[in-house]
Amino acid sequence: MKSKLVNMAEAADLVPSGSSIAIGGSIIRRSPVALIRELIRQGKKEFTVLAYPAGFTTDMLAGAGALKRVEAVYEGLFQFGFSYNFRRGVEAGLIDIRDFSEVAMAARFRAAAAGLPFMPTDALLGTGMAAYNPEQIREITCPFTGRKLHAVEPASPDFTLLHGYVGDEYGNVQFPLVRDADDLDPVMAKGANRLIVTVEKIVPHAEIVRNPNLTYIPHTWVEAIVEAPFGAHPLSCDGYYDEDEEHMHYYQACSKPGNFAEYADRYIYGPKDHWEYLAAALTPERIFALSVR
Amino acid sequence: MAYAGDYTLNELMVVAASRELRDGDLIFIGVGTAGRAFTMAVGIPIAAARLAQETHAPNLAIYWNNLLSPELDQIPPRLTQHHLTTWPTSAQLHNCSDKNDMLSRRMFDVSFDSAPQIDRFGNLNITAIGDYRRPTTRLIGCLAQTDHFAYVDRPIVLTDLKKRTFVEKVDFITSVGHLDGGNSRVEAGLHPGGPWRVITDRAIFGFHETSKEMQILSIHAGVTLDDVLAEMSFRPLVPDPVPVTELPTVDQISLIREAIDPRKILLVA
Repeated sequence: MKSKLVNMAEAADLVPSGSSIAIGGSIIRRSPVALIRELIRQGKKEFTVLAYPAGFTTDMLAGAGALKRVEAVYEGLFQFGFSYNFRRGVEAGLIDIRDFSEVAMAARFRAAAAGLPFMPTDALLGTGMAAYNPEQIREITCPFTGRKLHAVEPASPDFTLLHGYVGDEYGNVQFPLVRDADDLDPVMAKGANRLIVTVEKIVPHAEIVRNPNLTYIPHTWVEAIVEAPFGAHPLSCDGYYDEDEEHMHYYQACSKPGNFAEYADRYIYGPKDHWEYLAAALTPERIFALSVR
Repeated sequence: MAYAGDYTLNELMVVAASRELRDGDLIFIGVGTAGRAFTMAVGIPIAAARLAQETHAPNLAIYWNNLLSPELDQIPPRLTQHHLTTWPTSAQLHNCSDKNDMLSRRMFDVSFDSAPQIDRFGNLNITAIGDYRRPTTRLIGCLAQTDHFAYVDRPIVLTDLKKRTFVEKVDFITSVGHLDGGNSRVEAGLHPGGPWRVITDRAIFGFHETSKEMQILSIHAGVTLDDVLAEMSFRPLVPDPVPVTELPTVDQISLIREAIDPRKILLVA
């Protein structure tokens, strides 16, 4: 097995401006936030984001002016409220938005995971999503029953960016036994074209092989793996740390009135890398308070 | 059975929702942000489900935030991600595709939904106000609310009665209700069904059996028909006489206050 371990800057270097990227996790949980910060720091832009529920990372890309298009089921920040940067972009006509329901978006990721040209679904019949998006949602007739259905296009992005728990240098990534499963990461990983995973900790291969059933992303699917402790901060990483409510309130206090630049200077452009970010955003006391292990 | 003299509007809505739930139902509860939106999307539905379990529907089950049958007598003190993850529950299905399959296989009997726009035929909009491509207000997208209306037998909408919410026609159809009324929903290819009840802070609505127009089922005590119509941009069907919503009982109110939500985690705003 070949080592796929790279650092954060090297991982972000792989992703050019203009790429379509699928972002894993869910709203305010276990998204590859450190990697998205690094993409913004490197000045990458014009991204198309595919997500199940989008959330904080998509909003940061919108704030940084790096977001061209979004295909997702939700954009918001759960208990912290609306996704203000994203919302302003859509209202100004700067972001092309393609809405899908959860059943329909999951069908798109599963089409990609199965290598199929489309997935049939009846979730979007009669909806505005179908009316406004004939490119990706097309009417078909069931060859068995004659029923009206939609064919939805596979969600097959250039890059898939996920944050996981632990992995080895070869890219085997494992679940903890108790975890929050309210996302599509395993399906998105299987359907990925080029998969980059950040993890809380790189562990020895000998630890991985002891519990092979916990490997939800096997090394053969992975192009690059990065060690990023608190790599989802200020979001939560289930089993490791909870969301940083103070940080999120500050983010919203900046974003709501249109001062994303203040936030970005302090936490994205100011720190030169993930380690400097952690030094700027966290103290030993905060780390202790957020940790749930 | 004594009716309660002292109850809050939220408690009345919990009881009204609870009465719509049946033994053996599997109920889908969504996510809410904070404040009133949280109470509507999460607080009232969970309290109603638990109240039904404690009274007439002991075999009712809920699915919430990828938790199938969480222990409702162990609601966490705070609903941060960690507390959701570790809330004792029968199952956390392996990923959301499993939940989506349960939806499209039509395993759910009831869903709770909420929306900033609902129209005469019960179509919902949670996506965009104004022109979809250049909206005056971009909302949160779709979530599974589309899927609830497509696949769940008896969706229940919980929302406050407001003129800007109850509109003649939604700006964007996120969830297909009874579409244009009559048989139009089924003609569009959807399963029969559509929204079952709309429970508000002033009245409870259903939909006419054939025309599928929204109709008043009952108005809460102390509220007049004019109060209700003043908060709607269209005129619903009105029965004569207009029934008064059944009051909560003393037992239901004490269950809510003492057993279901003693720490005021659910009914927050």
